[in-house]
Amino acid sequence: MTRLPARRLLRLFGALVVAAILGFLLLPAIVVALAAFNGRAILSFPPDTWSVRWFVKALAYEDFRAGFRNGLIVTAWASAIALVVGAAFAFVLDRYEFRFKRTLETVLLSPLVIAHFTVGLGFLILAAQLGVARGYAVVIVCHVVLVLPFVLRSVYVSLRNLDRRFELAAASLGAPPGRVLATITLPLLLPGLVSGWLFAAILSFNEFTASLFVTAQRTQTLPVAMYNYVREYADPSMAAISVVYFVATAALLTFATVFLGLGKVLNVEQAR
Amino acid sequence: MSKPADPGTADPALAVRLDGITKRFGEVVALHEVSLQVQRGELMTLLGPSGCGKTTLLNLVAGFLVPDAGEIAIDGVRVTDLPTYRREIGMTFQNYALFPHMSVERNVGFGLRMQGVPASQITPRVARALKLVQLVQQEHKLPGQLSGGQQQRVAIARAIVIEPPLVLMDEPLSNLDAKLRIETRAEIRRIHRELDRATIYVTHDQDEALSLADRIVVMKDGVVQQIAAPPEVYAQPANLEVARFMGYRNVLELGVDAEHDGRVTLSGSEIRLTGVRKQALPGARACVAIRPEELVMGDGPGGLNTIVGRVENVEYCGRDSLIDIVTASGVLLHARAARPAALGDEVRVHVPVERALVYPSDAARA
Amino acid sequence: MTPRPFLRTFVSPAVLCAVGLVAALAAVLQYSLRAYVPGALEPGGFTLANFASLAKPLYARVFLDTVWICFVTAFVALVVGYPLAYALVRARSAALKAMILVIAVTPLFLGEVVRTYSWIVVLGNNGFVNAMLLKLGLIGEPLQLMFTRFGVVTALVHVTLPVMVIMLAAALAHVDRDCERAAASLGAGPIRTFLTVTLPLSMPGIVAGVTTAFAWTFSAFATPQLIGGGQVNMVSNLVYQLGFASFNFPFAASLSVAGLALTFAVLALLRAAARPLEQIGPH
Repeated sequence: MTRLPARRLLRLFGALVVAAILGFLLLPAIVVALAAFNGRAILSFPPDTWSVRWFVKALAYEDFRAGFRNGLIVTAWASAIALVVGAAFAFVLDRYEFRFKRTLETVLLSPLVIAHFTVGLGFLILAAQLGVARGYAVVIVCHVVLVLPFVLRSVYVSLRNLDRRFELAAASLGAPPGRVLATITLPLLLPGLVSGWLFAAILSFNEFTASLFVTAQRTQTLPVAMYNYVREYADPSMAAISVVYFVATAALLTFATVFLGLGKVLNVEQAR
Repeated sequence: MSKPADPGTADPALAVRLDGITKRFGEVVALHEVSLQVQRGELMTLLGPSGCGKTTLLNLVAGFLVPDAGEIAIDGVRVTDLPTYRREIGMTFQNYALFPHMSVERNVGFGLRMQGVPASQITPRVARALKLVQLVQQEHKLPGQLSGGQQQRVAIARAIVIEPPLVLMDEPLSNLDAKLRIETRAEIRRIHRELDRATIYVTHDQDEALSLADRIVVMKDGVVQQIAAPPEVYAQPANLEVARFMGYRNVLELGVDAEHDGRVTLSGSEIRLTGVRKQALPGARACVAIRPEELVMGDGPGGLNTIVGRVENVEYCGRDSLIDIVTASGVLLHARAARPAALGDEVRVHVPVERALVYPSDAARA
Repeated sequence: MTPRPFLRTFVSPAVLCAVGLVAALAAVLQYSLRAYVPGALEPGGFTLANFASLAKPLYARVFLDTVWICFVTAFVALVVGYPLAYALVRARSAALKAMILVIAVTPLFLGEVVRTYSWIVVLGNNGFVNAMLLKLGLIGEPLQLMFTRFGVVTALVHVTLPVMVIMLAAALAHVDRDCERAAASLGAGPIRTFLTVTLPLSMPGIVAGVTTAFAWTFSAFATPQLIGGGQVNMVSNLVYQLGFASFNFPFAASLSVAGLALTFAVLALLRAAARPLEQIGPH
């Protein structure tokens, strides 16, 4: 008799379970895609007519466009700042000891466990008390604080995986610390830096709850604009925008996985 | 320790029997039609360089891999299709693989718990096993709190406490430092003698193989090169691969002049040698393999097998010295001598005819 | 050349960010202690009245509901996420791994609003589930899935799953395969090996995953707001309503502070429960 049937069954069962879970994860995306191409305004499954009019409408909708622009401005600034601050601090975390290091680290990582509405509320109140207008600055600062932990973790993991001996070799050949940093460390860290930046940018662009609190009408980011739209209208324009979102994000992540080793940065590669 | 009277006799009570095992990984053939028989109570080492297939073979016997062709039987039972947990084996791993979340006691008792042995019997058996490996007073420690040598003992205890008919050891000493290695080697020998269970032991270290094995299986490129007791593998390697691996550093390719009654005369590069033929010599050229320590200072009887050269390098090794000699025609030889020679000295060395082993040259080999 | 070049330059910006965050949180704390002046945006004098109000059954209910939803979500995400994480780490083909990783991780990057909206489309009375069930004749009328706890939890699980899978996969990736082989060599079948070796050794990942899932779910706003529709309220929704509907920022602040304390308490509890696992550590 060949392979034990029990083992085969176990394998098959496992494969089915995994397929079912993947199906669960993909279900909303597929459903939304169906809804986006629906010819009518009322949702129906399956759609009886197909159309791209919702895409056209969504892409022309002024609030969405403004939201997209605002989102880009905020995200560009926030991710860049977070990258610089986060990478610098990760470097210090990895290499040096100093007073309050752990405290500082804890504080900067805390947004991972602090509810976003609390952070958003906090910056809203702070801005009001300091007399700062509710402009881009507040939103950007809020976003920096929220995405910093991700940049920190990503760059820190990369630093830990970096072989210090390359830097030591460069130093032994006469390179001062600044040159070592620029010519050895940074280039070797590049995948981690790019991954970290990508994380930060995507999370910032999609950040909703805190943004709901700190943005004003004119600085409203795309997620906030989308939220306001859903509360009032029920047509599939939202579905269309969601599909665009999904495709863009999936493409970006596939790129990151294949070319940057997302699996390594997330620390999910099998050690042996 | 029972020595096999005649390795290769079909014995129905063999501990392990492998017939025609072939294993491929994609395009690479890791094992090619390997057949092997391990006698009860025998300690058999699988010896060879990295990539020779020894670990693959061990994993096949353990059941972690499935052969592409061939059959495996343990203790007379065909196990080729049987998953690992149904095979009666005890195994130690290169990195010990102790369960980090279990104490020493629970680690060693694991196999007994899997067998459903009642707790009242587990405790004394675990204690006996730990006593056998000379590790006492550590029962409640976690593996992380033990040294490498201690972890190794726990791993051995864990494998033998279940009293398997077959013990598998995957390079158990390679993670230990040199001194510990020699001590633990002696321990393994002692434990094997006391338990007298068939053991397959994988190593790339010939000293380990020579000192521990009842029989050595020398492997290269997935093919068994020789199966014999240590003295025979050491002094009479079956082919050039085994000879090279076992330390016959001098391999001279010369032209065959004559062959008679097992004796071969060869010459080339202003060297004339007479040696003993180990395999059929199809071509006009052949290789002579000589151990450095058997390249003796001085002329041979009647000038036979004498080589003249100049000392190019001397490495002092304490009890003797490694001497590199270059002949006038540029042939490099390695010798070992009790007294170091001086650099640049002219020396004369010879090799006894019985210790010049002649094999077909690489080009002519099938 | 100082022995620690760059230290000051690299730490200062981080310190600034930390100060900003602390200032924001301090602002919340400060407001929670101020009185609410109806009709005005400026708060009144210092008082503990806001915290006293929290004890009212109405608000206590919301806290309990929130904690309940967070735990259920974390637990379900764990049960659903573990097989996926296992497949992700142990799959043989690199293409399969990449596919699982992308599918599992993508929802994380879609943003709350898109994900919540997509669940509205799935769960609504005109939505996918109801349409399919009606078409197949399994039900006569649409099932009420929106505005229910079930709907909210389902959507929240979907939101939390990626994080859980990542944490679990990271832990599973570091489980020594040789330990599993050793267990097999000692007679443990695949299921027993999993229960006695793999699962315990992945426990640090389980704790990290559940902890993070709890914290993230507590932070959720769009999902309970849009799918709960006022019927299912979490602390986040209440804070928003009080702030932007009633402009009662002081009370909203006190809710936030209480929420923060609650989150920290639960996290500390989980961490304490995980202390015995510290001994295992990576090898």
